[in-house]
Amino acid sequence: MSLSQWTGLRTLLTPSLLNVRNVPAVSAGIQVRHIAKHWLPQFKKLRRLKVQKVKLPNFREDQDASKLSPDQIRARMKEQGMLPPRSWMERPVFVSATSSVFEAYVPPEGDGKLSALTLGGAKQSMELLSKKSKSMMAVRKIKSFEEDFSTKYFPEEAQEIYLKAHKALAEKDDDTLHQCVTELCYPLMTDDLRSCTVRWQFLKSLEPPRVVHARCTEVINKENIFSQVTVRFHTQQTLAVYDRFGRLIYGNEVVAKDVLEYVVFEKHLANVYGLWRIHEKIIPDWMPEREAGKKTYIKQKPVVEAEPVTDSVVQPVTPTEGSAAVA
Amino acid sequence: MAQQQKGPKKWPIYNKKMFPPQLPGEERRPAYVCHMRTNIKYSPFKMWYVASMIRGMSIDEALKQLSFVNKLGAVHVKEALLEAQKLAVEKHNVEFKSNLWVAESFATKGLVYKGVRRHAKGRVGVIHYFHTHYFVRLEEGTPPQHFYFETVPKTTKTLLSEWVDEMRQRRIPLSL
Repeated sequence: MSLSQWTGLRTLLTPSLLNVRNVPAVSAGIQVRHIAKHWLPQFKKLRRLKVQKVKLPNFREDQDASKLSPDQIRARMKEQGMLPPRSWMERPVFVSATSSVFEAYVPPEGDGKLSALTLGGAKQSMELLSKKSKSMMAVRKIKSFEEDFSTKYFPEEAQEIYLKAHKALAEKDDDTLHQCVTELCYPLMTDDLRSCTVRWQFLKSLEPPRVVHARCTEVINKENIFSQVTVRFHTQQTLAVYDRFGRLIYGNEVVAKDVLEYVVFEKHLANVYGLWRIHEKIIPDWMPEREAGKKTYIKQKPVVEAEPVTDSVVQPVTPTEGSAAVA
Repeated sequence: MAQQQKGPKKWPIYNKKMFPPQLPGEERRPAYVCHMRTNIKYSPFKMWYVASMIRGMSIDEALKQLSFVNKLGAVHVKEALLEAQKLAVEKHNVEFKSNLWVAESFATKGLVYKGVRRHAKGRVGVIHYFHTHYFVRLEEGTPPQHFYFETVPKTTKTLLSEWVDEMRQRRIPLSL
């Protein structure tokens, strides 16, 4: 649609103009005061020839692309002489970390303080025994790759990694953070804090950290082994999160909080240069809910997907029915 | 056409600026969001009127006023404002969407395409097809009472001091 065609219109309401380039969808109702039409229609053609049409690019095109139907997109690509994008058949596979926690540790209710005489307590102690034997096997497996590994000294190392990771997160030191957390954990830790300032402090350990769980698994072939060790931390920390403008959104810099965490560490044993890295955190069901943030939100209405259109003939709706449906 | 997006790049960078955390007693720093719409097919000279009209208005007032402006530019500005408002709430930690005001609003010249027009006696004229960039910055809070310094009503005190200054600046011509 060229510019010269604009001038002959009283309003932009005309249906033919709804597809005009560069005119926003809400433009309905913009009125033009004049009728730009020559009083003498005789030399209309000659007048038109005075101005050469310039094809202006449409900068709003990308925004509209989401509203187009596949047919329209096809027509547009044909017009512009573009080939359809090649479908991407390969699936990216990342092999230096697993994508989940296998046979995750289930923290006992009440942190294992349930009496063994009760039903739940007896069940827990029975399960603990069977799980312990599996953990022993896994530890033996880890030892076959890493001679110095011991469940006695590993918690200290784990705590160091834990501290280093959180310090790097607060300082936004991505390189160090990648050394301390796996590829699964990295987005979980950083995504919400992109534009935030974090003030984090580790005060002390209330209980010495200990290994509660260990597992090994093979990926693809038998030699390619990953191991995961769950360490229980009971510590005291302070945390304050500020938004981009330095306003407090969560926590407090002064108030110390007791934190009980079950952190999963992972190592690619088959890799000679593998590191113990934080993989995930296990959050038990019985954990009390976290303190809510300070901001309030408008509750979003759930998006109801439109029913697929069937081939059957649509029954014309009588006015009474239509009005009833609206009401 | 997958052509490279031309246009201003600095304005959205203000959205990435991080401020240091505030101390407990400090006054709450208002949030802001910078937004722009580039290469609108509209004259920047006409856009100036629309852009300057809404300066210093609250967002609701600006949207209301714009819906009564019979200019194509007003539609673009209104859309840009709504986009900015949405951004502020979703990305920049603004709690209430009505608690915003237009702190900055201006338009600049975008790409200009040139066309040719035939005149009599073998002469030609150039037609400029203007594009415009529109920029807006919304700030959290209520708008100031007087956005422009000139519109601040003068108190009797300032009026007096101005008068005194004026009187003192009088000089007798050709005197020592």
